[in-house]
Amino acid sequence: MSLTADALDHVVSRLQGVLRADQVLTSKADRFNRARTPAPFPVHRWSERVPDVVVLPESTDDVVAVVRLANELRVPIVPRDGGTGLTDGAVPLRHGILVDVKRMNQVHDIDLDNRTCTVGVGINMLKLNEVLGRHGLIYPDNPASYPCSLVGGRIGTSGWSLIGSRYGHTRDLVLSFDHVLPTGEVMHVGDGVGGNITRSSSGYQLKHLFMGHQGTLGIATRATLKLFPKPEAELSPFFAFSDYDTAHRCVGALARAGVATFAGAVLFDEWKVAYLRRDDEAYIPQPSDVKALVCTALYGWEDEVRVGGKRLLRIAREHGGRYLGDEISEGDWAARHDRYATPLHGRTRSGQVVPMSWHCEDASIAYTNLPAVTREWHAIVAELRRRTDVFDDWGMFAYTNGATGIDYLTEIDVGIWEQQLGEEAWRLWVQAKRDIAAVTLRYRGSISACHGSCREGEVDLVPEELGRGYGVMLDVKRALDPNNIMNPGKYGLDRAYEGGGR
Amino acid sequence: MSGPNGRIGYRQAEQMSPPPAARASDVAITRFEDVYEVDPRLMERWVLQQTFPNWDTLRIMHSRHDHLAWMHRHFAERVVSGAELLAELDAEAPTGTTEAPDASPSEGGSP
Repeated sequence: MSLTADALDHVVSRLQGVLRADQVLTSKADRFNRARTPAPFPVHRWSERVPDVVVLPESTDDVVAVVRLANELRVPIVPRDGGTGLTDGAVPLRHGILVDVKRMNQVHDIDLDNRTCTVGVGINMLKLNEVLGRHGLIYPDNPASYPCSLVGGRIGTSGWSLIGSRYGHTRDLVLSFDHVLPTGEVMHVGDGVGGNITRSSSGYQLKHLFMGHQGTLGIATRATLKLFPKPEAELSPFFAFSDYDTAHRCVGALARAGVATFAGAVLFDEWKVAYLRRDDEAYIPQPSDVKALVCTALYGWEDEVRVGGKRLLRIAREHGGRYLGDEISEGDWAARHDRYATPLHGRTRSGQVVPMSWHCEDASIAYTNLPAVTREWHAIVAELRRRTDVFDDWGMFAYTNGATGIDYLTEIDVGIWEQQLGEEAWRLWVQAKRDIAAVTLRYRGSISACHGSCREGEVDLVPEELGRGYGVMLDVKRALDPNNIMNPGKYGLDRAYEGGGR
Repeated sequence: MSGPNGRIGYRQAEQMSPPPAARASDVAITRFEDVYEVDPRLMERWVLQQTFPNWDTLRIMHSRHDHLAWMHRHFAERVVSGAELLAELDAEAPTGTTEAPDASPSEGGSP
């Protein structure tokens, strides 16, 4: 429950003692605008997820002061970066203090000799790369939210990158960071003591523990990142197929080819092609026999990209792929860097256009299990759609997780008519999420490749996925956050404390 | 702003009279090259179709292309053409083994 008026006055007064007045926000607009993350959000329950107060720290010391205060007063505290995550990490389920890190957006240092930079975690990757581009460098962490997500959120969610098969994902790209623990102590996370070490065998390897915790173990404030030469050339051919199985064989062959500049391959299924054909102008003219698409992307020096590209083009042709042409190939790939800007609408079962927000359920699935999981996930969403117009199946993607093609980030996109959401539709949705996660585990995958798995429905199955590891999670949470102030209510971690949540 | 007669000027009637629609698919129509619209029959109840002056429709399309071109430049210095590489593959293939040509790019397709 929210703080009482008297308790809130006290908290605000204490916060104003450690921060400037303009760093402490209490207006309704300031709080409601920081309550939600991308869809589906239970808009009918919006007021249950609003912070009591918002703070805007500008330094690690500011964050330390706020966290210490929250721990002393036993007030929930939730870090928020871009607010673009898809598993509600930044949603304050128990109200309290919301820490918006956007003012910590400085580039502190660019080390051209060691190829690193040190930044405040409130910086956005696009803005950072505008600075790095002047030095011929790039920080290649590239989510679908690239223009609007922040480095700190990428750490808190252990993000997945569109070009991660070439450059690695967030956990590979973030070398080290300063991290404020739930008790207010500052810990330097990463190998070595200097911040720019990529390999260490000294002690426990804690970096992964403090990435992807969805704000339950503290707040990153300043990070040192690995940089690469800005690519000289890019190639992103798209191919059409008449059936899914052939496209599946093709994407596997591309991923297994061992081309050094390979940055990723993507498989679009029949539902996705149908969605694009009705809603995305690039695909409307595609002939009706196109039932699946495959694309691949390469980055690097032009001579390398041309040689590697020809090898992959030959493979795609040998699998019967029909090239979609430069215009669609290049345009669609560029749009993949910025999926949050796409205006969305779905269809009722009668075909009428309705406003819908986008959600995608993700998982990591082994290559050989993709066809079966695809069929079963669509059956779950088909049942949702059979029961109500609130949901629409927008198809599935499978993206390579890495360069050798073992497993894929697998997503089903679901349009949700938020204005029509009520308790019954929400219940159906949560059950569908649970069912989708159950299919994933039955096929020996992970419930999430990139979003995290702490939303209603999926979170119920996390103990099943982690086994004894979930007990270790509870032990770690209790040891580091003795008063359960840091983003309480996520991942079922309340059970680490006697008496459950606050 | 240039009217159809080449003079600078803005004519409300001209701008609010889009070219006739041609059917692009069973759910889409097209009035300008590279611009597709949802079939108006599908936007009659929950979301009503908006009316844009012609110049604004074209501005939105060009802005989208500008944005995508910017994104390419942001990630790499230049873009290698897949069509060009495929042509090179064809040229490198031994005589008599050249594969069938790829499907030509979609007419009027735009991202």
